[in-house]
Amino acid sequence: MDNKPLQTVPRPAWLHQRLRWALIALIAIAVSLCAVGLQPAIFNWNGLGQLWRFLAASGQPDLSAEFLAVVLRAALTTLAYAVCSTCLSLLIGAVGGLLASEVWWLAVLPHQNLHRSISSTIRMILAIPRAIHELIWGLFFVNILGLDPLVAILAIAIPYGAIVAKVFSELLDETPRQPLFALLNSGVPAANAFIYSLIPQAFLNFVSYAFYRFECSIRSAAVLGIIGAGGLGYEILLSLQSLRYHQLWTLFLALFVLNGAVDWGSAWLRHRLGSPTRLDLNLRRPTRSRKQSKPGDPLVLGAGIGLLALIPFSFWYVAADWTKLWSPRTATLLAEVGQAIWPPRLETLPQLGPLLLQTLAMSILAIAIAGMGGVLLAFPAARNFWSPNGLLAGHTTSGLGRIWAWTRLLLTRAFLLMARAIPAPIWALVALFVLFPGILPGAVALGIHNLGILGRLMAEVVEDLDPRPVVALKAQGVTAPLLFLYGVLPLTLTRFLAYILYRWEVCTRETVIVGLVGAGGLGRLLTEQLSSFDYQNLLVTLAGFVVLTFVVDWISGTARRALR
Amino acid sequence: METTNKSKRLGDKSAKLNESVNLNVNLNVNEILFELKQVNQQFGRLQALADLDLQIRAGERVALVGSSGAGKSTLIRLLNGTLRPTGGEVWALGRCLSRLSPRQLRQAQQHIGTIYQQFHLVDSLAVIHNVNAGHLSHWSFAKALFSLIYPLEIETAATALRRVGIPEKLYERTDRLSGGQQQRVALARVLVQNPLVILADEPVSSLDPERSREIMALLRDLVTETGKTLVVSLHSIDLALHYCNRVIGLREGRMQFDAPADAVTKAMIEALYRL
Repeated sequence: MDNKPLQTVPRPAWLHQRLRWALIALIAIAVSLCAVGLQPAIFNWNGLGQLWRFLAASGQPDLSAEFLAVVLRAALTTLAYAVCSTCLSLLIGAVGGLLASEVWWLAVLPHQNLHRSISSTIRMILAIPRAIHELIWGLFFVNILGLDPLVAILAIAIPYGAIVAKVFSELLDETPRQPLFALLNSGVPAANAFIYSLIPQAFLNFVSYAFYRFECSIRSAAVLGIIGAGGLGYEILLSLQSLRYHQLWTLFLALFVLNGAVDWGSAWLRHRLGSPTRLDLNLRRPTRSRKQSKPGDPLVLGAGIGLLALIPFSFWYVAADWTKLWSPRTATLLAEVGQAIWPPRLETLPQLGPLLLQTLAMSILAIAIAGMGGVLLAFPAARNFWSPNGLLAGHTTSGLGRIWAWTRLLLTRAFLLMARAIPAPIWALVALFVLFPGILPGAVALGIHNLGILGRLMAEVVEDLDPRPVVALKAQGVTAPLLFLYGVLPLTLTRFLAYILYRWEVCTRETVIVGLVGAGGLGRLLTEQLSSFDYQNLLVTLAGFVVLTFVVDWISGTARRALR
Repeated sequence: METTNKSKRLGDKSAKLNESVNLNVNLNVNEILFELKQVNQQFGRLQALADLDLQIRAGERVALVGSSGAGKSTLIRLLNGTLRPTGGEVWALGRCLSRLSPRQLRQAQQHIGTIYQQFHLVDSLAVIHNVNAGHLSHWSFAKALFSLIYPLEIETAATALRRVGIPEKLYERTDRLSGGQQQRVALARVLVQNPLVILADEPVSSLDPERSREIMALLRDLVTETGKTLVVSLHSIDLALHYCNRVIGLREGRMQFDAPADAVTKAMIEALYRL
């Protein structure tokens, strides 16, 4: 090559945007760790024996017929709660989603240029019920409705309804509009035009998202058991408090099976329907053309009928007292709350600041644990990676290697399922065996639970990976570690980070539920105020918490845009 | 005539490193680089290649032509060792590829560079990293990791990019480049890898005609300047005849003809594409 002086492009700033975010994240984690160190004592070594007894019991779960009957009833209750609340939240979400979408107002009020302001106002209002965790809703409804199954259903349906509304409205707004306007311009009323254009266009996305919500509400239904709503969560709490660890493991197994069946069934159905993956939905990617199932696929039809039959069964099984919704007593109590809540009292304000920071630190540590664990476990949990014929596999795999690969895959997946099937407050109670109350047990509990969720999502990212760069590097004789570094990591890391940031928002909301069992943070104060009917102070605490979640949402959103 | 010590011509670190792993590759012009012996390739029930016998010598520029599904891509994958034939033997650089250990195979693959129709680059990385990926077969893990944070061997990458005509794109993100530019990045990666032979699997099929000619001219010049060998599968007969000196026609997995470019007749081409 010639010897002209090289005119190289100047090297870009060393501290580019991504690296800056990485540094911010590292500092945030370090500061949060320091906050843990402020506590006088962290480890409670006396609890080791307890922890050991708990772990040892995993070998012999209680399988007596009478206890199994209890477990079955509890599992059915949890399932029924999940079905009912998903149905309700989809109903709320469908209406709310339509009203929160820009395109609806554009269709209804074509010439007034108001669509953007109306839809963004409605979206803003929806953000508030969404910011408040199911458990807070649950505790609030217990105060109003007493201990009734209705509490659990409403507590899930309201925040979930708001989430579904947000997602549905975004899906509607992202669907191509030309067919809709073609109908509108020929004089079709807005509602009719919608059901003939946008709604069928976006329907598969709706269905896919609805299944995903159902998976989540199974987990939420288990958590709500802890405030006395019944079901597996409640039984777990009872067994844990009375130190019956053998029973505990039976209940864990039931949760494991229930969650596993729902996750697997939902994934199978979505796949069969040819609906987009969660990835496409969450990351707003244009859906790739996937294999559509033939109409009248008997398996899908059977599953659909089964699911539809499950709905009336669930409503019958939970036997909620719906009349309470419009009973005079409820109205009176609500009115009382309305009066008691005003004016807000600011006496807990000085306490609020440190607690908010503690909560923030807890959420940061939790997502750090979940994120790191998730990244590490996503690869062994992905079907296309280490398995025979996977991305990193060579030409020959011995029989033994094959068995080892499959075992590793199944073990990782089982671990992830266990981590997410067991509710975070239960993990917190386990962590409290050996940790003193504070930020750390809460962070560990949330971290483990979210690790299970993130690990699964990330494994899907890996399974969705573009294999071409890897193929090219492989053909060039690159070893597996470097293949991973240059072909796999750059393509997956951005999506991993997007998921981690998204999950961080969820983690912040969930800090409340580990606070409930005494793991520290704002959750403890909230639950105390709720159970002592201290609504004036509650309003301030809640406002503080909502502001915190908005701030976290904003940081996470900014970071995600920067990393894209 | 000998293309003697590669290191004299290359004069850079990668060549020394290549030698230090003791590859023992001393090729003469006209020496056989690739040899296929009775190769069969079966995908399930589909016979992708049947009874293929073929020799490719150092310094040749070979075009593979034929309609889609004729087995061109399969042949390329056999030559670079990413696919093992279901029958017969593929010899490359004096070694039978299917008898090599994974480590030996990787060593052989270092001398075989491949370019693809879809470029096969990592979109989310800067161009510099995709070009540096050409070093990966002899970089240590630590070095590769460090380079992702603070790019190393900029000079080599910049020279390669200058050679392919896009020096200003060094730090650009790869997915912001046009198709033609991305194929140039892929070429720069192969330049950095500095193999003995370049395999190209329909390198211009996703480019417009003008871009196609540019890339093909670039490929031919790179190959002739450095005495490398080229095997390229092409959709366009014109490009094949213009830029290569040997044309192999494949039809339904069988070799229809194998002739010098100037001996290919209209009748041969019509027979190749006849329905």
